[in-house]
Formats: sequence, C-alpha cells, structure tokens
Amino acid sequence: MARSVTQQRKAINTAVAWAVGLLIFFPILWTILTSFKTEAQAINDPPLFLFFDWTLENYAVVQERSDYMRFLWNSIIIAGGSTILGIIIAVPAAWSMAFVPSKRTKDILLWMLSTKMLPAVGVLYPIYLVFIRLGLLDTRIGLVVVLMLINLPIIIWMLYTYFKEIPGEILEAARMDGATLKEEILYVLTPMAVPGIASTLLLNIILAWNEAFWTLNLTAANAAPLTAFIASYSSPEGLFYAKLSAASTMAIAPILILGWFSQKQLVRGLTFGAVK
Amino acid sequence: MAASRPNRLFRNLTAKIAAIPMILTALVVFVGGTLWTVVYSFTGSKMLPKLKFVGLDQYERLWDTRRWMVSIENLLIYGICMLVFSFVIGFILAALMDQKIRFESTFRTIILYPYALSFIVTGLVWQWVLNPEFGIQHILRSLGWESFTFDPLYNADIAIYGVLIAGLWQGTGLIMVLMLAGLRGIDQEIWKASRVDGIPAWKTYVFIVIPMMRPVFITTLVLVAAAIVKVYDLIVAQTGGGPGIATEMPAKYVYDYMFGGQNLGQGFAASTMMLLAVIIVVIPWAYMEFGSKNRG
Repeated sequence: MARSVTQQRKAINTAVAWAVGLLIFFPILWTILTSFKTEAQAINDPPLFLFFDWTLENYAVVQERSDYMRFLWNSIIIAGGSTILGIIIAVPAAWSMAFVPSKRTKDILLWMLSTKMLPAVGVLYPIYLVFIRLGLLDTRIGLVVVLMLINLPIIIWMLYTYFKEIPGEILEAARMDGATLKEEILYVLTPMAVPGIASTLLLNIILAWNEAFWTLNLTAANAAPLTAFIASYSSPEGLFYAKLSAASTMAIAPILILGWFSQKQLVRGLTFGAVK
Repeated sequence: MAASRPNRLFRNLTAKIAAIPMILTALVVFVGGTLWTVVYSFTGSKMLPKLKFVGLDQYERLWDTRRWMVSIENLLIYGICMLVFSFVIGFILAALMDQKIRFESTFRTIILYPYALSFIVTGLVWQWVLNPEFGIQHILRSLGWESFTFDPLYNADIAIYGVLIAGLWQGTGLIMVLMLAGLRGIDQEIWKASRVDGIPAWKTYVFIVIPMMRPVFITTLVLVAAAIVKVYDLIVAQTGGGPGIATEMPAKYVYDYMFGGQNLGQGFAASTMMLLAVIIVVIPWAYMEFGSKNRG
C-alpha cells in the first residue's frame, strides 16, 4: 500500500475521529438521556449524566397527550407509500433513459433534476388550491402523491445511475430469447438492480419521513405524521425539557434504528445516486 | 443492435411512453405550479387569488420591506458559511476516514445520524443545546467555568450563526460520505507516485486529488445549495424567525404572507424572487456542467 499507515498513526486517527463522532452524537445522546429524567433532574445543577432516577413517566405523559401510534402509522404510510409509488413510476422512466437513450435524454434528466432545485414555496399555493378542490387536504393519499412528486427526480436519477451500470447486452440476450418488454423489465432488469432499488427505496423513505415543509402545511389532525407530532411540541411548553426530550426521542427512534441496521445500503444509496 | 427495424421503432416508442408519467408530473406540477405563482405575483390578491393585475406593485413593496431584506441577508450569511464550512469540515473528516480508522462503519453511521433526522428535530435539539439555562452554557458553567457565555439564539446579532451550527451539524455527514466516496475513487497509484516524488500529502490533496474530485464537488455543491435555498423547517423549529426577525429566511417570508398574512400577492412575489435567484445560479451552471457532456 502506498499509504501504509503505521499503527500509531492509525490509533491517532481513530481517536480524533471518535472525538468528532462523540461531539456529533452528543446532542442526540443528551436528548435521549434527558427523556428519562424527571423535570427537576433535567434542569439540575450540576447536570446529571447517568446517575439519576431513570423514569418512563415522560413517555406516558407524551403518549397520553398525543397518540404517538397514530402519527407513527401516518409516517409509515406516507413515507412508504410515496416511495413505492415513486419507484413504480421511476423504473420504466429510468429504464427508457438508460437503455433507449435519445438525443434529449441528458436534457430531460437535467431538466428534471433542476425541478428539484426550484423552491417548494413556489408551488405550494397551487397545490394547496388543488388539494382543497379535490378534498385531499389533510389526507394520507394527498401527501403520498405530493411527496412522491417531490422525490421523483431523485428516485429517477438514482435508478438511472444504477441501471447504467447494468450491461445492455444482458437485456438484449433476454430479448433475443423472446422476452417481451414487460418480462424484460420485470424479470431481467429489476432483479439485477435490486441492490440499487433497495438503496433508492431506503434513502427516499428517510427523505419522505423527514419532509416537513409539505407535511406541516398540508395536514392538520388526520394525516399528520411524526414531523407534525414533534413540531407540536416545539414552542408553547418550552420549559418542560424532559417531556420535549421524550417526544423527540419517540420521533427519532424509528430512524435511528432503521439507520443503524441499513447503514451500508444508505451510504451506498447516498454515494451511488449522487456520485457517478 | 441486432433487433429488426420495426422492433426498434417499437422500443423507442415504448421508451417514450415509459417516460411520459414522469415528464407529465414534472411538467404539470413543477412548471405549471411555478408559472401559476409567477402570474399571480402581478396581482393584488389578498385572501383569495384574484386576477386583478397591479403591475410591479408587489415587488416594489417587497423590496421596501425590512423583513425581506433581513431574510435575504440571512440567506446569504447562512448559505456562504454553510457551503464553506461544510465543505471544509466534510472534506477533512473524509480524508481522515480515508486513512483507515477502526470501527469505520460505526463512525460513519454516527456521522450520518444527524442527516437522517429531520430539520424539525435538528432545530428542536439545538434550540435546547444552545439554551443558556439548559444546554452548553449551563453545562460548562456548572463544571466551573462560571463566566462562559454562549447563547447565540438570544442575541439578535449572532442568532443566525446559531442556526448555522445546527445546519452544519445536520448536513456535514452527508458531505463527508460523498467526499469519502470521491476519495476512494481516486487511483491508489497516484498516491504512490506522489510518495515516490516526495510530494507532501497536503500538496497531493490540494493540487492533485481535489482537482480530480471535481465531479464529486459539483454534485455535492448542487445538493447543498438546493437545500440552502429551501431552508424553512429548521428555522421554524429552532427560532421561529426570532429573536425579533433576526433569523427570518425567504421561504418563511413567503409562507407567512401566503397563509398567515392574508396577502397572497406579496407571498407570490417573494416566491418569484426566490425562483429567479435559483434560475440565475442554477441554469448557467447546469448547462456548463451537463450540457457539454452531451457532445463530449
């Protein structure tokens, strides 16, 4: 190896990296710890790190005040639904751009990506009006559609870069063997692209899960996901830190767990989709 | 291609059809919606959109509004600092990780965690961390550093930097991962060659590796820039635009006028200005970057 790193050097690097990691993780850790304290302990002087009376009281209070499971369920449906719908639309589109490119393919791709740059506020009101007209305001279906539209460019972009890596000859061979177009996409292309599709799926679930601009503005009570749940705790009770922490922990727990187990795919998704 | 002519024609046609749903949604929703907003920005719409044109009145009013000017200024400060710091920190972290560290994947997960959290949660968490009675200041003071003062969110002059810290915390992990992918894509032979020639590591980075990573930098730049212009939920959760109007942002201005201020025309005008800014920055760059690949 050109950069044969000495053991000592490696130890130093590791130490520095972990110091940074700890620093970055600290706010999350502190929030989680605080959620198990009583309100008095949360603002105790000096701050209590691990040695306090662990309690689940805050979680009970938060659950009582707002039905966590309903928000969680909404989040799952909205994030999952919009991503799956997006992939259904994106697979044929990405297939056509990757394997049957025309002169304008690059332009279309670029043009589509640039819609992602447009400020979302610019289309908020028209969509709001359409939603009122169609009775979609504060419904899960409405949000599924909107978030699908918002993330579609990214889904297509990512799938396109994955599909490009698959040799076209394989598809051609399938065609030679008499596969129809549907079979070609469904039984040849899709299985080969599964890792790519999985990464795309995962990243977009997280993006949709975290999307707050649209979810806050287009929902009220029925379809509100976890972003709305946590936002509802933001200001009025600014002094109840332990309860706020409990609400935050509940809101971030699914993502922390999902992120921990799917870290590899996530990084793959982030880098492959963006870095060719 | 060995396929017969009619078959190929059919394939091309199907390819076009396969792309239609995507083009249609992008066209109708984004372009249509944006145009609608632009048209109505020239009207005097108050509570409901009405096609009563008032020329450039809304724009004149917009640029006379102090809150709008503050928003623009904040966006510039936040945007420039965000780009500079997140790129520098992200690259240094990536270079560090490229040296092979122990438990790399765990470290990567931790660094990426903030990115996996929504801006809403980020804003809330940092609202508490930066709260003088609860967060960093409180902790350091109780550890004995009595005079330590760090309460950016309560000081209008520097509140925007408090938001910046939260933004950096959230976004740097993504940049690090992108940069790391770029670094790993660099041919190891280059390192060998520069080692043989006795070029110091930092010089190799600055003059050879970074120029080679140009595509990665461009992609990252676009992703970050797009996120910066849209910053909204972070502000809403962390400061609500305060203290006063110290951390207002354009997207929030638009939103507040459309839904809170009962002044749709004003919101549309502000939104059109944002659109214009994005177009001025993005379009020339996009054609430079992608347009040339068409031919080359």
